[in-house]
Amino acid sequence: MASAPPTAALSVPALAVAAPGAAACAIRLRDIRFHYRKRAPVLEGVSVDIAANRVTAILGASGSGKTTLLRLVKGLDQPRAGEVTVLGRSRPRGGWRLDPRVAYIPQQLGLVRGRSVMENTLTGAIARVPAWRAFLGFFPGAVVAEARATLESLGIAHKAGERVRNLSGGERQRVAIARALMQRPAVILADEFVSQLDPTTARDILALFRQIVAGGVTVVMTTHELDMVEEFADRVIVLRDGAKVLDAEVADVAVMELAAVIRV
Amino acid sequence: MLKRYAVRLGLAALTALFVLSLRDVGLLDFTRLRRGLRNLGIFFQDMFPPDPDVVSELVRALLETLQIAFVGTVLGFALALPLALLATASLAPPFLTAPVKLVLAVIRTIPSILWAIIFVVAVGLGPAAGTLGIALYTVGFLGKNLYELFEGVDSEVLEAVRGVGGGRAQLARWALLPEAANGIISQLLFMFEYNVRASSILGFVGAGGIGFYLLGYVQLLEYRSLLTAILVTLCAVLVIDRASSALRAALR
Repeated sequence: MASAPPTAALSVPALAVAAPGAAACAIRLRDIRFHYRKRAPVLEGVSVDIAANRVTAILGASGSGKTTLLRLVKGLDQPRAGEVTVLGRSRPRGGWRLDPRVAYIPQQLGLVRGRSVMENTLTGAIARVPAWRAFLGFFPGAVVAEARATLESLGIAHKAGERVRNLSGGERQRVAIARALMQRPAVILADEFVSQLDPTTARDILALFRQIVAGGVTVVMTTHELDMVEEFADRVIVLRDGAKVLDAEVADVAVMELAAVIRV
Repeated sequence: MLKRYAVRLGLAALTALFVLSLRDVGLLDFTRLRRGLRNLGIFFQDMFPPDPDVVSELVRALLETLQIAFVGTVLGFALALPLALLATASLAPPFLTAPVKLVLAVIRTIPSILWAIIFVVAVGLGPAAGTLGIALYTVGFLGKNLYELFEGVDSEVLEAVRGVGGGRAQLARWALLPEAANGIISQLLFMFEYNVRASSILGFVGAGGIGFYLLGYVQLLEYRSLLTAILVTLCAVLVIDRASSALRAALR
């Protein structure tokens, strides 16, 4: 938390309260506009700076543009206007290969259900082993050992041979994290990450995220669970109808205030 | 109001077209139909009892039919799978998917028996021509079913694995194919069933299998042998259909 930006007093709606220093900025969005084909804009004039090594929660009602924001950062969608800079690099347009240092966990996790926990975990390492090895499934021993250690640290090593289909929700979540960690990410983007879990499991998973952040990873998660934000996030950004309406340190905002900002 | 008139008008036109076509194909010629019914009766009488003497030659021919279907399905699948991947919109770029889809559509337009005729011309009479015909039709038919299957794979899984940073080949290897695996096997079994039925008539054009005997018995008016051939084919098709649908159910 040493690199935490200075906080500013919050007034609602407060736009771009505290801009973090450039060095600690992992993700920078400038005047982003996005819409699907000829529909109404999903995001309109959004500028966001996300500091490195922190947990940033993006809040908002469904349809407010949270998922789109993550997709733009990951490079799955390209903005119609504006600039996306991730890890100091301006995103090249139209490229098919995506940066493995940015791990993306979609809402339904995107695991291959018919395959084992181990295979799903190893998938995360595809980009850093020789292509033929990855294609044939001959991962180097060190990578396999790393996958096993990662599963160990997440407490699901005993399920390594199990098919993802047969796992519980919390276990699947851990596999998705394991796959993301195998990318050796600098940023993890998690969409509605714990919303389908019971509160206890959600807390366990989010505590894991705090450990990961302590290891030097930036986490951006969308959610609509306010108490989880209060407990686990450092910074909170609220979107409403495709625009940013709040961007502040969690410590400076009361949950009731947040609820009001989202719903108004 | 206007819409209802349009519907009525359309229905009337369709009925008129149907009656007109019915007459053109000769199904309003009642004296002919009556004669046909009588002939059908005689035909069925002549079919009984089935002739057991031809069973051994028929079983040999049936085995050839099954071999044609088996080899044709495998060869066709070997070509259909890569083509289907190239035709999948979520995997390949549009400048590839569009032409590959077109090629698959063209191949599919021509039924396997026509392909068999073409290959009889090319490689001569016999099961080789039939096998190639079946293989080619399989490419068109299975290719389409497979790329539709691939395009139906959950986009979240594809995006998640694409986000890992591998190329298109890795995406196919680690997300698309494993997600679609059961569907692929199911399609393959269905295709084999279909090809067994299709290859049973390839002999009509000299492309091998039991169809040669079916046609021969009709031309020589050996209806008792014909019935035997039909029964033998029916047994094989039923057994294979049953086995294959049991397998497919087990996959689900």
